[in-house]
Amino acid sequence: MPEFATLASPYSMLAASHGDVDLTDEAKTRSRALNQFLAGVELKAFKIAQTALRHEDDALDAVQDAMLQLARAYAHRPAQEWKPLFYRILENRIRDMQRRRTVRGRVIAWLPFRGEEDEDEPDPIAQAPSPEPQPMRRLELDQAVGALERALGELPRRQQQAFLLRTLEGLDVAATAAAMGCSEGSVKTHYFRALQALRAQLGDFYL
Amino acid sequence: MRPVTSPLTEFERNARAVLEDSVARVDGRTRSRLNQARQLAVEAVGTRHRPWWRAFALMPAGAVAAALVLAVMLWHREPTAHESPLLEGRVTGVEDMDLLADADGLDLVEGWDGPFYEWAADQTDTNVQSDS
Repeated sequence: MPEFATLASPYSMLAASHGDVDLTDEAKTRSRALNQFLAGVELKAFKIAQTALRHEDDALDAVQDAMLQLARAYAHRPAQEWKPLFYRILENRIRDMQRRRTVRGRVIAWLPFRGEEDEDEPDPIAQAPSPEPQPMRRLELDQAVGALERALGELPRRQQQAFLLRTLEGLDVAATAAAMGCSEGSVKTHYFRALQALRAQLGDFYL
Repeated sequence: MRPVTSPLTEFERNARAVLEDSVARVDGRTRSRLNQARQLAVEAVGTRHRPWWRAFALMPAGAVAAALVLAVMLWHREPTAHESPLLEGRVTGVEDMDLLADADGLDLVEGWDGPFYEWAADQTDTNVQSDS
């Protein structure tokens, strides 16, 4: 926090030294707009990262990195570009983490004395059952979520990404293509195949 | 809930509803961490990492000027008359190094003949006195 506070001061001073009060106001307005944008996407972004990485803390790190990168490098861009940019950054971060994890897994597999120290200890509070009684609807939704997340986890990464960006985030084909860094035709193909696979997987399941 | 035997759009709608439900149920700890991350990001607006050379732009002008003057003075300083002892000292130092590194000098030290050098010194003193 202090790091950013000290960095923010010269920025403001620079604006004031030019006698351009509007610049500071504009920066504040942009910060507010960015805050609003990030608040709107953070939960869905976390869910997408969690589905891809299957690890809560890694997903949080990926989302945080994507937020910072967007704020530092692209906050000056038009607000309508933020969403595809943000998901593009997030996707790159997820891919980096997956690669690093793969490399680490290979290295650890060669170690003679590998233990379980890398495994996170389960949080007893998180593991504790909720004291509130679970209604039947809740149970059905839990089962539906679990089944869908398992099926999504088995999809190839690009299909998974296309499906989540289109279905959960609600991006159109063009924005999804921008976020995925591919053509609109590729998005349609990935999305169609994802739907086919999910339907085949969840065909007998109640959604 | 409906079985997934409906048309494609129905499937998508149901999937979205399920996913949105799972998003709505993200726990408080995660929401808190996301909120913190967002605050950090918002504070970081406009603080993009600059290239190393851009750091000079943030240095106070006086410090930059002083550093430049000092650098110019050191670079263009002409050797003056009273610097000659230093230069001589450098030459002497080089000669000392030659003597120390010389193999003959090492032999001289190893084969130390005290009485001979005392006699030679006496001879030198005697010659100097007789010359004067």
